[in-house]
Amino acid sequence: MNVKKQNIDDLVLLTIVDKDANLTKSENFKEIVFKEIESGTRKLIISFEHVEYLDSSFLGALVAILKNLVPKNGRLILIELDNDIRNLFELTRLDKIFELKNSLETAIEDFK
Amino acid sequence: MNRIILLVDDDIFQLRLFEKLLTSNGYNCKIALSVDEAESILQSETPDLIVSDYEMPGKDGFEFRRRLLKEDSFKNIPFLFLTSVNDKDNVQQGLDLKAIDYIAKNTPPSHILSKIDNLLQAVREHYERSLSEIKGIAERLNLRNIPKKAPELKQFKIDYFNQSFQNQPGGDFIDFIQTNERYTFVILGDVMGKKWGAWFFSFSFLSYIRSAIRLCVYDENYSLSEILNKLNRVIHDDELLSDIFSTLSIVLLDDELGTVMYAGAGDLPILKFEEETMELHQFKSDGILLGFSEFGDYNEMEIKLDVDEELYMISDGMIDFELNGKKKSDINLFKEKLFNFKQNKERIQTIKDRLFDKHVSQVDDCSIIIIKKV
Repeated sequence: MNVKKQNIDDLVLLTIVDKDANLTKSENFKEIVFKEIESGTRKLIISFEHVEYLDSSFLGALVAILKNLVPKNGRLILIELDNDIRNLFELTRLDKIFELKNSLETAIEDFK
Repeated sequence: MNRIILLVDDDIFQLRLFEKLLTSNGYNCKIALSVDEAESILQSETPDLIVSDYEMPGKDGFEFRRRLLKEDSFKNIPFLFLTSVNDKDNVQQGLDLKAIDYIAKNTPPSHILSKIDNLLQAVREHYERSLSEIKGIAERLNLRNIPKKAPELKQFKIDYFNQSFQNQPGGDFIDFIQTNERYTFVILGDVMGKKWGAWFFSFSFLSYIRSAIRLCVYDENYSLSEILNKLNRVIHDDELLSDIFSTLSIVLLDDELGTVMYAGAGDLPILKFEEETMELHQFKSDGILLGFSEFGDYNEMEIKLDVDEELYMISDGMIDFELNGKKKSDINLFKEKLFNFKQNKERIQTIKDRLFDKHVSQVDDCSIIIIKKV
């Protein structure tokens, strides 16, 4: 799984570099983020800038990440989801669970 | 679907030669000039076979193989060594590293091709045999996540179809629970994930669903909202399922009054084709995925269904499409197809055949339940 990490003050931005976020990458991605949370990160932004398709395994991994982070008083914002993926989130009420923002700037502003 | 072969060699001429041979025979090749490049490709692609040279500057083929053997996701990818150094020591060292075989670079192209064809065929057959054994065991244990037939009711006719992805079991599950002559629960769920992992957990979810329904019915409680709320709490508290999530649609058919109730958890909307107005309507539940939060706040709704009208319950595989090599999830595309079938007054069997047409690219297992009022 190609993930680019960037620290912005006390925030961690993880950008998924792959176009296709699917089963073969979901476990590896979950491990990367769980390690990030274990190391103390509580303010997390995941960017889907490059992602064109998200399968249900990867969605499951995202839900597991959020479920792990919330009891630790952490917060996760997902940014730059393309229209199809955003529609899928809305269609299946995942927008009730996740915070979705259009850009990195609005996500950072929201964390302040 | 074209099988992917990862070719690793520092000799670009050799790589291009191999690539040409294999692509012109239906394989999809990824090429890497070094082990580092190969490992970077493996981050985003899982090939069906890796063919690698022994001798390369930097990390050599043996080191590459050793590194792959340490990674669970890569260690079982069939691996062939390719070499011009056809000496016994190198061959033995390669085979000791669980490489399936080796190919000498001076082997005639037709032999190389046959070797690769035969190897991939043998891997496929081995996989099919194991799959069929496991399916046989599951069958004997009566572990079934798709029932053999739908119940026959007076006021409703139920049809259902499920298609696995690449002949592998998946996370979709269907059940019909007829508690008495009057009430039948129709269940469609989808464990998030694919293949074996999702398939395995679908039985845990099914057991909980069956128990929750039975326990509520013993108390004469037919409220879908209460059933879902209870079910969600149990699943939320089950540590084994703490990382596993499922969508669920439950429809309760009352065969005496002819009514239809519906509640859902993170599921796709139920669709209804209205004969009179010739419109396709969508009913969206408000519940979130089972098990995410202790209190899910699940509500039920009644769906009015007149004689000859149909309801469609679908899993997410039905709205996943691959167009021009690009995958996408699009319910509107599905609705458009369904609407056209209905407008042309196609029969249920034809609709099913067309939706599951093997020429329509499929990226996940998919299920549809069609409930018709008769």
